[in-house]
Amino acid sequence: MNWRKLLKIAGIVSLALMITIIPLLSAGCTSAEEKTLKAGFSICYTGVAAEKGRPMGNGKLDCIKYINEELGGVAGYQIEVIWRDNQYDASKAATIINELMDKGCLLFTTNSSAMMTASAEIANRAEFPGFAVFSAPALTNPPQHIYAQMPDYGDDWAAFANYYLENIWQGEGEPKMAMHLLNNSTGYGARDAAVLLADELGIDIVAMEEHTTTTISEIESLTRINALNPDIIYISSTPQPTSIIIKDAVDLGMYPGVTIGLGHASITSELIEFAGADAEGVYGVYPTVKWGDDVPAMAKMTEYCQEYHPDDYGNMDYITSWAEGLIVAEILRLAVENVGIDNLTPQAVEEYGFKKLDNFNVGGLHGPVSYTPGDNRLSKAVRVFQIQDGEIVPISGWVDAPLIPYEFD
Amino acid sequence: MGLPAGTRNYSYAQDMAIFRTKTHWAMLLALLVILFTAPLYCGNYWLSVANLIGITIIAATGLNILTGYCGQLSIGHAGFIAVGAYTSAVLTSRLELSFLVGLIAAGFAAGLIGMIFGIPSLRVKGFYLAISTIAAQFIIIWVISHWTSVTGGFTGISVPPASIGGITFTSQASLFYLIMVITVLVVFLAKNLARTRAGRAFVAIRDNDLAAQVMGINLFRYKLLAFFIGCFLAGIAGSLLAHWIGFMSVEHFSIMDSILYIGMIIIGGLGTTIGPIFGVLFIRLLQQWITSYIVPGLEGIFTLPAGFATGIGPMVFGLAIILFLILEPRGLAHRWQLFKASYRLWPFSY
Repeated sequence: MNWRKLLKIAGIVSLALMITIIPLLSAGCTSAEEKTLKAGFSICYTGVAAEKGRPMGNGKLDCIKYINEELGGVAGYQIEVIWRDNQYDASKAATIINELMDKGCLLFTTNSSAMMTASAEIANRAEFPGFAVFSAPALTNPPQHIYAQMPDYGDDWAAFANYYLENIWQGEGEPKMAMHLLNNSTGYGARDAAVLLADELGIDIVAMEEHTTTTISEIESLTRINALNPDIIYISSTPQPTSIIIKDAVDLGMYPGVTIGLGHASITSELIEFAGADAEGVYGVYPTVKWGDDVPAMAKMTEYCQEYHPDDYGNMDYITSWAEGLIVAEILRLAVENVGIDNLTPQAVEEYGFKKLDNFNVGGLHGPVSYTPGDNRLSKAVRVFQIQDGEIVPISGWVDAPLIPYEFD
Repeated sequence: MGLPAGTRNYSYAQDMAIFRTKTHWAMLLALLVILFTAPLYCGNYWLSVANLIGITIIAATGLNILTGYCGQLSIGHAGFIAVGAYTSAVLTSRLELSFLVGLIAAGFAAGLIGMIFGIPSLRVKGFYLAISTIAAQFIIIWVISHWTSVTGGFTGISVPPASIGGITFTSQASLFYLIMVITVLVVFLAKNLARTRAGRAFVAIRDNDLAAQVMGINLFRYKLLAFFIGCFLAGIAGSLLAHWIGFMSVEHFSIMDSILYIGMIIIGGLGTTIGPIFGVLFIRLLQQWITSYIVPGLEGIFTLPAGFATGIGPMVFGLAIILFLILEPRGLAHRWQLFKASYRLWPFSY
């Protein structure tokens, strides 16, 4: 038998094993008898957004593990998580949402606004409720069956702009702001808010530059911005491109000098890892507390993180999604208590779970969670942070992010 | 070897028939019955997978006509799909035209844009043409993302459900029928196209464009025709994709998708009608198996920490493709031909 034949047989046997045995074995891992509360998570564990998707996936799955194992589940029932890696691929996200509905999930979540846009219409048509952890304004405007866990990228901009005008801006007249936006809903969410509110707030938007997730240099765009002599550069992006913009701003001698403010998808421990000392003094808004803060949920979250995913310790995305797990549990608890386990449907969970949320405290990890008719954002407050001595330090209390009156087609 | 043992053709019609024997017709009928009764025994998930497979087959068939038959390598196919998706989305959403108008316009818009980007094919070929089609991908996406007033830019655009004559296709089952009917028509069209004068001209150009020109084939005309047909089908696929997902964002059309389409037609078998079907089935089903069964299965069996096995998914996917290309570089279509030849001679194979 030659090597080619051996390789062929080994390949066929391996594929056959993977295709048949593993799913069969895994099917025997859960009991069909036990009543559970099914929640579906569409997570971008791999793909271009994995830097955020991985810690977020880890956080929420660890949180549900904690709820099931230490708290005995929700209202006496275990939460059965069905999670899938969407790989930040829209067509995959579209099949995943159908799978989650088919498997009897009562609600679903996604990490990113991009993956929610690929799932939202299918979910809205089926009245299958879900929420995005990070979301763009278009997802909840007009409000249907999709919710946002936290203020969106537009709210970030508005909250930061207010804070900047009240606490940082020392000059005369209108400050000149340049915006550097990721070329997707993360960037454009901030842009939409700026277009709508800049004049009203008294901010002069002098530039709107774009970048990609794979950018390796922003010297050119920053040179254009530099020529306009802005007072502040606002970046709404993810950590890696943000670090490149900051480093290039340092190389061009723009920073320190100009103020740099970041949206919440940019400011994580990974940004500090990528940008190093160049990120010192950069401001950013984030909707959660920071690691080590004295809030009720911190100890257990830290314990689980250090035991199961120590690499994520210090990453604020983990906090966000731990809070997501707590919110999922609370929605399910409300629904079970209001309609009973036997009457649970996705529609009932929306009506008696999502819409009954009233000042739910997510262990202090972020602002209180409430449903307000006409506003599908569940939490409506952010905090302003600054990077000081390599740490992300809060410099404000909770800043309200009022609903922005968008008019999307 | 193309016919079962003992079968002979005695007329031109018999020679040209796609389905030649009663067994062929019976198998076709069985396949269509199984296909069109699928919503009776498949849930939404598998129907959505089938819908994705159908849409991908249409797009891959277009690319196969362009690359597999005519030899014009295109790495901008996702861009052409985006043209179709946005044309249909804009016409049905903003102008409130009917789905059928959107669908046909999507095909023509993508076909015309494809022809424009196909013009360099007269002067460049191979890798150089590939680079020019990559440019198409970037230019198209840039235009879509910056033509905000029409396309919605990065905010995206909501797409109404497809509707024909009062029937609205909102459920996965109804979309399944719509998509499968179009897929079957496209595959039938592609099969026949390959046997027409144009199809033979495509193959001649692919095999040796100089010799084809000497034989009197107008290279410019046929290359542009291949771009038009290939991109027309990409546009049709894009339109269906838009109405299937219900919301379009430029992030749905990445360069990686374009490369994946190339992978699909190579794995399936270039220059055959059945090849794109096999390639799409292989890739899409492998993706679904890894996502829905292998990764959760591994984590369930070995009680791994949450998310631990996700990295295995892309590795298994890559490994399967590498193994496949080593073991069957001529594609699944070739393996299918060997299988057919073998069973037709059975039990007297030699």
